[in-house]
Amino acid sequence: MSVAIGAAIAVLTGIGAGIGIGIATGKAVEAIARQPEAKKDIRSSLILGCALAEATAIYGLIVALLILFFL
Amino acid sequence: MVEKLTAAIEETMETQVVFTIPIFGGIPVSSSVVVTWIIMAVIILLSIIFTRNLKLVPDKKQVIIEAFVSFLRNFCRDQVGEKGMRYFPYLSTVLIYLGFSNLIGLFGFIPPTKDLNVTAALALMSIILIEVAGIRAKGTKGWLKSFTKPVAIITPLNVLEIGIRPLSLCMRLFGNILAATIIMEMLKAIVPVFIPVVFSLYFDIFDGLIQAYVFVFLTSLYIEEAIDVEE
Repeated sequence: MSVAIGAAIAVLTGIGAGIGIGIATGKAVEAIARQPEAKKDIRSSLILGCALAEATAIYGLIVALLILFFL
Repeated sequence: MVEKLTAAIEETMETQVVFTIPIFGGIPVSSSVVVTWIIMAVIILLSIIFTRNLKLVPDKKQVIIEAFVSFLRNFCRDQVGEKGMRYFPYLSTVLIYLGFSNLIGLFGFIPPTKDLNVTAALALMSIILIEVAGIRAKGTKGWLKSFTKPVAIITPLNVLEIGIRPLSLCMRLFGNILAATIIMEMLKAIVPVFIPVVFSLYFDIFDGLIQAYVFVFLTSLYIEEAIDVEE
């Protein structure tokens, strides 16, 4: 039981990644609306930012799986 | 219900051994290796078929492949610049391999990128290439000096980055594909009809291609940073 709770807490890292990617995407939409000609550059930096922000959620998931299966 | 879900997760977590080579006391060959062989065979076959009889005036088949190759070249040139085009073969090979291996789940195979060993090997190859590119562009002295940039006090962080970069490259790819596979297995265990098809569009196709793109994107970004010589 406590193992499952530990895994659930580890997975909460997803909150941060979700908020972060949401803010980043919102800003990117604003930027594209203001300057549609810079769409390509904005999109590639958005993908980069999302990939980096998402990493924390992935670490949380991996820690949760490790807790579940090896503890 | 819960038992079903646990069984589905456990099934995706373990790496299957397909067969054992009977030398040196038996070398286990896991499914990721076998699936990689299949992908290699498919890519080699496609390359042979598409590059036979190349003509100056292209026919239909050649137009398609030329468009594809120039798409890859433009993508790499945008990221690493003209100086980095030396590393184009590696980047495009990894992109094609990852694209195939992330999509192969659609055909009922287990994606090799779900195996931590595969992504770790890819990340190691990338970090070695990045550092070698840095040494080639700046010389050993310049490469060592680049650790102290922009200020000397962050040298430990720069050294740490050699370890952190491949770790995060490897974990990002592995975690994404594993998570997608687990969610798909759980969905299939609960609702076997129709719903998995819809989600498979996102998890198998979109997420797989995005992760292949992100891996190559980050590698080329690091290479670009490594070969960037200040005048």
